[in-house]
Amino acid sequence: MPQNETIQDLDLDEYKYGFVTEGKPVFRAEKGLSEEVVRQISAHKEEPEWMLDFRLKALKVYESKPMPTWGGDLSDLEKVLSEIYFYVRPQDRMQHSWDDVPEEIKDTFEKLGIPEAERKILAGVGAQYESEMVYHSLREEWSNQGVIFDSIEDGLKNHPELFREHFGTVIPTHDNKFAAMNSAVWSGGSFVYIPKGVSLNTPLQAYFRVNQERMGQFERTLIIVDEGAHAHYIEGCTAPVYSTESFHSGVIEIIVKKNARFRYTTIQNWSNNMYNLVTQRATVAEGGHMEWLDGNLGSKLTMKYPSCYLMGEGAHGEILSIAYSGDGQHQDTGGKVVHVAPYTTSSIVSKSISKGHGRSTYRGLCKVYEGAHHARSNVECDALLINDTSRTDTYPYIEIEENDANVGHEASVSKIGEEQLFYLTSRGIPEEEAMAMIVRGFIEPIAKELPLEYAVELNRLIELEMEGSVG
Amino acid sequence: MAQATLAPEGVTQALSAEAVERISADEPTWLQERRRHAWSVYETTPMPTTKLEEWRYTDLKKKLDLAPLRLSEGTAAPDDPAQWPERLREAMDEDREASGHIVVIDGHVVHADISADLAKQGVVLGSLQDAVEQHAALVEEHLATEAVPAEEGKFAALNAALWTDGVLLYVPKGVQLEAPVRITRWLTESGAAYLSRVLIVAEQHSQVSYVDEVLSDDFESQTFTSTAVEVIAKDGAQVQYVAVQRLGKGAFYQSVQRTLAGRDATLDTLNVALGASVTRVDLNARLLGPGANSDMLGLYFGDGSQHFDFNTSQDHIKPNTASDLLYKGALDGSSRAVFRGIIRVYPGAQKTDAYQTNRNLLLSPHARADSLPNLEIEADDVKCSHGATVGELDSEAKFYLMSRGLNRTQAERLVVMGFLGEVLAKLPLGGVVEKVSRVIEQKLAQHEG
Amino acid sequence: MSNWTRVAAADDCPAGQLLGVDAEGVPVVLANVDGTICALRDECSHEEYALSDGDLEGDEVVCVYHGARFEACSGANKALPAVRPVKSYPVEVRDGDVYVDVG
Repeated sequence: MPQNETIQDLDLDEYKYGFVTEGKPVFRAEKGLSEEVVRQISAHKEEPEWMLDFRLKALKVYESKPMPTWGGDLSDLEKVLSEIYFYVRPQDRMQHSWDDVPEEIKDTFEKLGIPEAERKILAGVGAQYESEMVYHSLREEWSNQGVIFDSIEDGLKNHPELFREHFGTVIPTHDNKFAAMNSAVWSGGSFVYIPKGVSLNTPLQAYFRVNQERMGQFERTLIIVDEGAHAHYIEGCTAPVYSTESFHSGVIEIIVKKNARFRYTTIQNWSNNMYNLVTQRATVAEGGHMEWLDGNLGSKLTMKYPSCYLMGEGAHGEILSIAYSGDGQHQDTGGKVVHVAPYTTSSIVSKSISKGHGRSTYRGLCKVYEGAHHARSNVECDALLINDTSRTDTYPYIEIEENDANVGHEASVSKIGEEQLFYLTSRGIPEEEAMAMIVRGFIEPIAKELPLEYAVELNRLIELEMEGSVG
Repeated sequence: MAQATLAPEGVTQALSAEAVERISADEPTWLQERRRHAWSVYETTPMPTTKLEEWRYTDLKKKLDLAPLRLSEGTAAPDDPAQWPERLREAMDEDREASGHIVVIDGHVVHADISADLAKQGVVLGSLQDAVEQHAALVEEHLATEAVPAEEGKFAALNAALWTDGVLLYVPKGVQLEAPVRITRWLTESGAAYLSRVLIVAEQHSQVSYVDEVLSDDFESQTFTSTAVEVIAKDGAQVQYVAVQRLGKGAFYQSVQRTLAGRDATLDTLNVALGASVTRVDLNARLLGPGANSDMLGLYFGDGSQHFDFNTSQDHIKPNTASDLLYKGALDGSSRAVFRGIIRVYPGAQKTDAYQTNRNLLLSPHARADSLPNLEIEADDVKCSHGATVGELDSEAKFYLMSRGLNRTQAERLVVMGFLGEVLAKLPLGGVVEKVSRVIEQKLAQHEG
Repeated sequence: MSNWTRVAAADDCPAGQLLGVDAEGVPVVLANVDGTICALRDECSHEEYALSDGDLEGDEVVCVYHGARFEACSGANKALPAVRPVKSYPVEVRDGDVYVDVG
C-alpha cells in the first residue's frame, strides 16, 4: 500500500488513446479477414501444410457461425472487424517511442511501481529483450529440466509432433465463433511443456519469453503439463496494456495430465476501447489439479469463461475470478466446470466491482454428468456496486445428471456498507481511502492468491480507481 | 421460401381462426376483438424452440404435439356432487373450511358458491364466462390486458384467443375472507386441449386466499391444459394464490401466471406440481408499489419420466419492495426438473430485498436437475442473493435416523418429507398441507417398491 | 427386440456424407464411411443438436455446433466438448435400401 502518496486527479476509466503515427512503410495484410490473409499468415510463418489446412478450414467455420446474441453488446463488432488488420508481421509493427506515450499512462506506471523495462513493453514501445538478461539464469535452469517455454510459432517449428498431438484438442475450431477466428489467424502466444515429475518453483511469466511478441491480438497458447509435474504460469499484469488495437481474441488450451498440478494466472487491464473475447479451457486427468486465476480490469467488453473439464477420477478444478468494470465497461466473465469422472471436485469464486456506469456479469456453468458420482462443486459470486448507475448480473447454469453429487451455488449483491464507511471515516480516514480499503477487503480472498508484486499492484490500482468515486 | 405456403406454426384442425369465431359467436364485441387480436399474435409468434434461453431444456418438438388435439366440447355435468367423479369428491372432502367453491369438470364450471355474507359485501366468485356479461366493465378492464396479454408469448396468445372456461374472483375494498376460496377441476377427455383463465382482483386493503387444484386420471393420449392466471393486488391488499397440479400421465400442463402487487400489497404464490408428464410454469411477480412484498413458493416431486420446467421472475420496479422465492423438488426415476429464475432490480428501485433459492434432491441415478438462478441488478442499495443446490439424500441425517432405530426406507422418507415440508410450512393453508403431504407419501411408497 | 425400419435409399447417402433420417420417431444420422453405412442417434451428447447438420471427416462425425467428434460406426466420443458416446444402431442394406434397427 502506498504511504502518504498524493494521488493526482487520475481516473483510469477516462484516459485517452490513440497514437498519431506517421506512415512508415510496414508489411500488413489487407484489412479484414479473407482466405488471402490466412494464406499470407501461414506463408510468413513458414508453416507446414496441415496448419494451413487447419487455418483455412477454421476460416470457413468462422464465416458460417453467427455472431453470438448473448453476453455483451457486439452490435458494433462487425464494423470493428472490417477495419482491423488481422496480421501485422512482428518486425513491421508500428514502432513508437517512449516520448509518444501520453503522460497520464506514464504517470499510472509510476504510481503502480512498474519496473522501467516493463513499462516500455506495456506501452508497446519496448523491445522484449530488455528483460532478457534478468531471466537468463532461470531459462537455463528450465531448459536443463527439459521444460519447453517457447513462442507458439517456435513450438510448432521445433516440437512438431508434440504440438500436433495436442493443438486444437481442448478447444475445437467449432467451439465458438471467436475460437474459429483465432484458429484461422492465430499469431503469438506460448507453447509450454513441463515434463513428467518436474516441479517448478518460479512461475513461468510470459514476459520471460523473449522471442517475438509477448502477446498478439490473436494469441494462441498451448500448455501441456505432464504426469506429476507442477507449475504456475502468469500472463499479463495490472497496469493498463497500452494498445492501439481494439480487438483481442485469444485461445488458451491446457492439458493437465495425471496427478499434475497447474495454475494459470492472468491479470489483464486492456484499454477501454478493447473487445476482449477469449476462450480458455483445461482438461484435467486423474488426480490432476487445475487452477485459473483470472483478473479482468479493463476493456470495453470482455467475454471470458475459463473452464475445467474434469476427465479423470479425483480431478480438481478451481476458478478464481475478479472483475472490475468502470464507466462504459462490461465484464462478462465467469467460469465453467464440467464433472465427467467420479470423485471430481471444483470450486468457483467470483468477485466483481462495478463503478459508475460499469456493468459486471457473472456467467458460469457447473455440469455433472451421469456417472460422475461423488462429484462436489461449490460456486460463490459476490458483486459490489459502487454507484446507483452501476449494474451487475449473475447467470449460472447448473446441470446435474448424477444423484450422488453435491452442488451448491450462492451469489450476493451489495453496496459499500454505510456502517463500514462511517466506522472508517469517523477514525479520520478520508472517504476515498476508506472506500478503497473496503474494496480491497472485498477482493482480498482472491488477491491473497496472487504473487506478491501483483497483489501490490492490484491494491494500488484499486486506490486509483476509487478516485472520484465519492460524490 | 416454401414456408409461405405452410400454415403458421401451431395452427391445427382444432386450433384455428374458425374456432375463435365459433367460441366467441355470442360474446360482446370487445371480447371478440380481443380474441381475434390474440389469434393474430398467436399466428405470427413462432413456436418456442430450445434455441431460446427460456426454453433451452424443454424441447416442444419432442414434448408437445398440438396437431391431434381437439378442443374439449363435452356437455356440462350436472351441479350434483353425487354424479361427480369419486376422486374429485375425495379431493374436495379433504379440503377444510372454505369461503366458497367452484367446481370445473371438463372445462365447464358446474358449481359455484360463496357465503351469503360475502356475496352481500360484494365478493364475486364465479365463472368467467358469466362474468363477461354480469361484470363486463371489470372483466374488460383486466382480462388479458395488463397482467397476461397475448403478447406475453405463444401460449399466452393461444390461451387469450381460445379460452373457454375460467374463474373470476373479485374482492371489494377492505373486505377480508377468513377461509380460502377453493377451486377444484377434473379432466377426463383424453386428447383434448383445455384452455382456461383465472382473474383475481383484490381491491385496496382486502384479503383473500385462493386455492386451485386440478386433477385427472392417466390419459391414453396427450392432453393439453393451458392456464393463464392474472392476480392483481391493489394497494395494501393481501392475496395468496395456490395452484396444486395432480394430473395423470399424458397431461401437458402449461401455466402462465403474473402477479401485480401495488403499494404495501402482499402477494404470495405457491405452485405445487406432482402430476402430469410435462409441467411448464411461467410465473412473473411484479412489485409495482413501494412496500410491495411477494413470497413465491414452489414444490415438486417427480418420478417415472416426468418433466418439470419452472420459469420465474421477480421484477422489482419500485423502491422498498421485497420478494423471497423458495422452490424445492425431489426427483426420482428418470424425472427431470428445470428451474430458471431471475431477480430484476430496476434502476431506482433502491432498498430492494430479493432472495431466490432452488433446491433439488435427486433420489435416483437417472434423475436430472438443471438450475439457473439469475440476477440482474441495476440499483446499488439493495440486498439480493440467490442460492441453488442439487444433492443426494443427506446421508448424515439418514444415518442419524437409522441409528435411532428407523430402517433405511423410513429414514429416507423422513428426510425427503422434511426437505419438502419446509415449503409447505411457509404457507400453511388448511387442507393443502395434508393433501400434498399425503400425495408425496404415496409417491415415496412407489420409490421403495 | 429388433425393429428394422427402412430409412432411406442407399444412393441417398453417398460415401463421405451424412444423412439425417427418422426411424419410427427416433432421429438417426447415417454416415457413409468409404461405402459402409453406419447409424448413430442424431443427437450430439454435448448439447443435443443434430449431428446430421455436421460433417463426416474420415470415420468421424463432427458436430458442426461445437466441434464434438464421434466415431461414425461405434458412436465413441473422440473429442471435446463431448465426453459421452452417442448410441449406435445396427444397419443393413438390402436391395438398395437402408434399414436401421432402433430396437
